[in-house]
Amino acid sequence: MEKYLHVRQVKRRNKFTTFLKSNYVGWLFNLPLMIGLLVFTCIPMCLSLYYSFFDLSVKADGLVGEFVGLGQYIRIFQDEEMGPVVLNTLLFAIISVPLNLVLSYFLALLVNTKFKFTKFFRVIYYLPVIIPAVVNGFLWKDLTDSTFGIFNKILNMIGLDNFPFFQSAKTALFSLILMNVWSVGGGMVLWLSAFKNIPKPLYEAARIEGANAFQRFYKITLPLSTPIIFYNAVMSIIGTLQFNGTLTIGINNGKGIDNSLYLYGVKVWFEAFKSGDIGYGAALSWLLFIVIGILTFIMFSTSKWVYYQED
Amino acid sequence: MILQDPFVYRARRKNDIARGWNKTKVYLFLLIMVVLGLILVFPYFYMISKSLMNETEAISPNPPLFPSIPQWQNYIKLFTENGYFRATVNSLIVCAFNCIVVPLSASIIAYSFAKLRWKGRNIMFVLMMFTTMLPAVATQIPLYVMYSNMGWIDTLLPLTIPNLFGGGASYIFLLRQYMMGIPNDMSDAARVDGANPFRIFINIILPNCKPILLYIAVTVFITNWGDYYGPLVYMTSDNAPYTLAYLIYKNSTESDVAAQLAAIRMAGGVFMTILPAIIFTFFQKQLTEGVLTSGLKG
Repeated sequence: MEKYLHVRQVKRRNKFTTFLKSNYVGWLFNLPLMIGLLVFTCIPMCLSLYYSFFDLSVKADGLVGEFVGLGQYIRIFQDEEMGPVVLNTLLFAIISVPLNLVLSYFLALLVNTKFKFTKFFRVIYYLPVIIPAVVNGFLWKDLTDSTFGIFNKILNMIGLDNFPFFQSAKTALFSLILMNVWSVGGGMVLWLSAFKNIPKPLYEAARIEGANAFQRFYKITLPLSTPIIFYNAVMSIIGTLQFNGTLTIGINNGKGIDNSLYLYGVKVWFEAFKSGDIGYGAALSWLLFIVIGILTFIMFSTSKWVYYQED
Repeated sequence: MILQDPFVYRARRKNDIARGWNKTKVYLFLLIMVVLGLILVFPYFYMISKSLMNETEAISPNPPLFPSIPQWQNYIKLFTENGYFRATVNSLIVCAFNCIVVPLSASIIAYSFAKLRWKGRNIMFVLMMFTTMLPAVATQIPLYVMYSNMGWIDTLLPLTIPNLFGGGASYIFLLRQYMMGIPNDMSDAARVDGANPFRIFINIILPNCKPILLYIAVTVFITNWGDYYGPLVYMTSDNAPYTLAYLIYKNSTESDVAAQLAAIRMAGGVFMTILPAIIFTFFQKQLTEGVLTSGLKG
């Protein structure tokens, strides 16, 4: 009997040590991520939710404020600025994301041909991407200026009237979308790497079967790049909804004439950091988080059209 | 660019898509590419041109395309009359730190996902991928409060220390995908010879990941170099260690004399693109041809 127990004990200890032995290396290598996620993501997310139920302000001795329940969330729906902000953000996302996806796709098709000079043009098309956003902001403000901007001079030269660009509430958002088109090279690179992953024999086979260029594009290139189309679409939507690049254009503190460039990302920054309304800012950012979560869920659950190659 | 017959011929032979193209088609194709290129490069070209204009040309209602006499002293003024030198040093510190730390920490984490077997791996992976969907703004406010409690506001710490932990899910994910493509033969052989996982990681996996590590370092540099929003949130006082991007942001949005300094501001913009441009010319192959992203399904 005694002997039996002894064996059981040893066995159990062995199980435990083998579990540790076979897992600790993985845990060890993963440790930076676990710490990082906990400290810089999980705790801040929870705190931000917590803050959103308070009316907080930053004082000398830290955060001071009182519990207001769902007050901050109710405030969002009563905020008069929210109408234009949501409208601007949605318009920007709905137009800019598909536009850039499509344009960068066609640009990538153009430079995916194997002429010697296409390599050179890849570099040229990518060049605007390396201009930092903050430089791009004032550069475009300068280019589109109504008095000394070169764009209006060019328009005049080809016989057109001055276009107000960022200086009119009607055309500001359009100008922002236009400005974004210039960084189309970034998307192009993503497409190029997608094309790289399409097996070449497929094209060869299609050609032997007599498929023309359009059929090859429609039946091979397009379906086999759906995974990256999907990835691109999800990432751009997440990025665009929190976009705050209009801060760099600097017109009316980044809000644009008559709030015409006032986007959600800018609004959160204004409330939380410029006005120091931490609670309201936290509520705004949680609302955005929920909206992005729902959108991502919808996109994933309607992603039947994405075709994954078998590895 | 003059197209010689042998060139077209060679291009045709080499090319899958353009097979059967005649000369006119090639010319037309080239024309489209040139026009697109001119359009896309124009703002950048004009910024360089304007940075060399004198102040009357820069705000003239009839703007010239080129400066009459290049004003190289605009670039000297930039450094003598503004705080650009100090800001450049700060930016370089932040970028250098992150360029070393992000690829290294991300590859340590990616190794645990790609090559090691352990309980909880899948949960951690899903959790990590989930963070790519979190809007940055949602964590910013508590992080600001946290940093200010730790006395990190108006220092470079918020721009560097968080990167010790992988620097973001997308980098880790890219590295993991890449590592999964590395055959196990060599690491198996090394294991038989008694190498521990750490040795295998340092001596076999890391050297094999060079291209993707380089790609990540370059991307990290370009992102951090241009980041004005981090400093905008975490630097509140006037004698904070401004980074170059933030200094340019402040100068171009908050200064009242902005219009009079148009040319110098352009010079600042050009100066800011110099380092990315150099890096870009060196690594343009890696950047413009994209990295292999096979198996995006995760």
